[in-house]
Amino acid sequence: MMDTKTNIPNNTEMTPVISLKGVSKWYGDFQALSNIDLEIRLKEKIVICGPSGSGKSTLIRCLNRLEAHQEGTIHVSGIELHERMKDIDVVRQDIGMVFQSFNLFPHLTVLENCMAGPNWVRGVDKSKAKERAIAMLEQVKIPEQADKYPEQLSGGQQQRVAIARSLCMQPKVMLFDEPTSALDPEMVAEVLDTMIELAKSGMTMICVTHEMGFARQVADRIVFMADGEIVEQNSPEEFFNNPQHERTKVFLDQILK
Amino acid sequence: MFVDTVIEDKALHKPAFLIGLSLTVLAIFFALNFTNSLFGEFLRPVIGDPTESGFFGRFAVSLVLTIIFVLNLFAISFFKLKVQVAIVWLELFLLFLAFAYSFDLKMSFIQSRIPLMITRGLFTTIYISAISIVLATVIAIIGAIAKLSNNGFAYAISSFYTSLFRGLPLLLQLFLIYKGLPQLGFMVDAVPAAITALSLCYGAYMTEIFRAGIQSIPKGQWEASRALGFKFNLILRKIILPQAVPIIIPPTGNQFIAMLKDSSLASVLGVWELMYLAKTLGARDFRHMEMLLTAAMIYWALTIVLEVIQARIEEKYKQKS
Amino acid sequence: MNIKFGLKKATIVLTAALLSVNMSAKAGAVYDYIKANNELMIATDANWAPFSYIDDDGVMQGFDVEVGREIAKRMGVEARFITPDWDVITAGNWNMRWDVSVGSMTPTASRSEVLNFPAVYYYTPAAFAVHTDSPITTLAGLNGKNVCTTAASTWEMYLQGNLDMLDAPAFTYDVTPGTITSLKDGSMCADDTRLGAGVRNDGFIDSVPMIQGLIEAGYPVRFLGDPAFHEPLSLATDLGNDDPELDAELARIIAEMQSDYSLSLLSIQHFKNADGSSEDYTVAY
Repeated sequence: MMDTKTNIPNNTEMTPVISLKGVSKWYGDFQALSNIDLEIRLKEKIVICGPSGSGKSTLIRCLNRLEAHQEGTIHVSGIELHERMKDIDVVRQDIGMVFQSFNLFPHLTVLENCMAGPNWVRGVDKSKAKERAIAMLEQVKIPEQADKYPEQLSGGQQQRVAIARSLCMQPKVMLFDEPTSALDPEMVAEVLDTMIELAKSGMTMICVTHEMGFARQVADRIVFMADGEIVEQNSPEEFFNNPQHERTKVFLDQILK
Repeated sequence: MFVDTVIEDKALHKPAFLIGLSLTVLAIFFALNFTNSLFGEFLRPVIGDPTESGFFGRFAVSLVLTIIFVLNLFAISFFKLKVQVAIVWLELFLLFLAFAYSFDLKMSFIQSRIPLMITRGLFTTIYISAISIVLATVIAIIGAIAKLSNNGFAYAISSFYTSLFRGLPLLLQLFLIYKGLPQLGFMVDAVPAAITALSLCYGAYMTEIFRAGIQSIPKGQWEASRALGFKFNLILRKIILPQAVPIIIPPTGNQFIAMLKDSSLASVLGVWELMYLAKTLGARDFRHMEMLLTAAMIYWALTIVLEVIQARIEEKYKQKS
Repeated sequence: MNIKFGLKKATIVLTAALLSVNMSAKAGAVYDYIKANNELMIATDANWAPFSYIDDDGVMQGFDVEVGREIAKRMGVEARFITPDWDVITAGNWNMRWDVSVGSMTPTASRSEVLNFPAVYYYTPAAFAVHTDSPITTLAGLNGKNVCTTAASTWEMYLQGNLDMLDAPAFTYDVTPGTITSLKDGSMCADDTRLGAGVRNDGFIDSVPMIQGLIEAGYPVRFLGDPAFHEPLSLATDLGNDDPELDAELARIIAEMQSDYSLSLLSIQHFKNADGSSEDYTVAY
């Protein structure tokens, strides 16, 4: 069921699907990102964590160019992201994003939210788009809500719809920007479960999150950021049991209390 | 209104308030002096000839009026909200009718002229307003998008336009168009001049309304759309504008209602719309109030129709979500 | 986007159509154009009974209107009436919106800077009027008072002391008001006056037939003193689009109507006094 409209080259598992070299970003005088070097390969699950203001959200939003970096280079599937690039929308079609505040389209039903991308952007005809939408809604386990409007759903359900909506575009990479931070505790689990299933199915995932249990279970690599820099990155066991930097230790103390 | 859960004692049930109100109203009625009106006539048995009743007569009339007024308010305060509204509307409407009646109008005068007022006057007013409304809306959509764009030309033209056409009185704009354009070589008749002035003037106000409506859609909607790979036109058309519509409906409805009334300015150019006929149909017999009041009722009725339509549309959007 | 484009296109076409209605300018000889279109466009303010007004069926009536119709008939074309405000007509620069004004306009020096006056067709006296209960009994009593009049009219010029009529009988400025209230038309002055002497104004000035009509309609007003001046009332054409042929034709027709008494007949039909007698204002005095 792949669309043929994308012209992003296929990647092998060895070349990085996303690579950042020397990336820096300023908001006015304030430096949000400092000389970031990062590589992400296909099928990798990356968790980015750190104290607030560390630049983790900024970093992930630079990956689909919702934010613009001023220095350094970012390559996605071999295409460089920069101010004058053509076809940013085509690149974005291959990157799914899930937001902290869900950002579902309130005037469309759940089903229509999921059909919007394939039908309007990729030109997939309505019945195929609907099939795919229902399939994705089943994958996130809420197919029965298809004809409801977002405001009729709980927070956890809305976030799962958001995930399904992104999946309908069959992206290569999924970005998660604090997906459970705005949810009530009892709904966090259902969203994390969905994300774990997604990870198991082989999706490349980059998650900014505070959920350390999830990180331990799913991540291939944990990237710790503070003050706009990557302080350290490691496998989960090493990261939690053997933090290298003082900053990391302070953070872990606070968050695992 | 988001009413509080605790109900206060009604002001009208407190003795202190009632007394204060009564004294104020008494003073007002006394100052206005209704002795020479109908009420004075009613009280003839008590005060004698109204014109010669002096202080006593004036005081008596004011006292009676005060008692009627305060008792009326007091009685109404016992009813439920909806009933109160209905009663007060009815009383205000009757007062308005009394006002109209006091002019000693000839109904036959109105009857003979009403067909012309409706077939010519009302028809012209509606058709001028309708075309202007459509044009103003088109201008507003273009203007709002231009004002929100990154294109220097678009932004400059749009902001200049809204500044200029909100900066001049509509009547002045009408004259500038009617008298000015022909001198530049563009001949324009009265009706097109009126439509142009109305469309441009209200288009400017509506541009601001549309712009604010579009801007009020949260940034997250833009981000989610962009993240899915939507292009600008698609985002605007399918995501932003549909959400902006329920927001802009109340202020836009206001503008439409105002445009309906401002079409009356075309009368200055001699167009035979409602206002013009209201003024001139009385000329032959030197009776003006009949036609003016008739036009007033027609304008009011038209406005109420528009208000009802607006309320229905707002309801429909509330139900949708 | 289909419906939206359709709508956008439609409105653009509609606007262009509306704006272009008269873009095909009447060039050159106005008279030729009138003949070619078989239509004489006559401008007159419809707020002046008994000179021009609208009846219940939307048909123009009145002395000026009848004269206009007769002129068109003798010119061999149809008459079409346009009703702009009086001050729009007197301002000139008609831009060929209409061909002639049959509106009882008095030729003055200032007006002849923008208009031509091809033919005088009648004369009326102008007079002052006050409320029936007014304490004022002579014209001198209005000196320093508030007098109402019509804006852009010869009566306003009289009050201002700069009435520069062409070919009119001599007159004197018998009233120097303290305040001049200029309104859109005479009936507005009358409505203000009827409220009482000194309430909104102390009196007003208008043409005698008009005041006569007001008295007949039951307005509580009366004439004050003798007529202030007599004014010749003329047809007018635009100086901007000067057409001597049209002016000559209009003059010829008026002369014809005077010699065969049809003009007098119209006057007698429309100008009646309170006692039932009629006035023939078309005779020069």
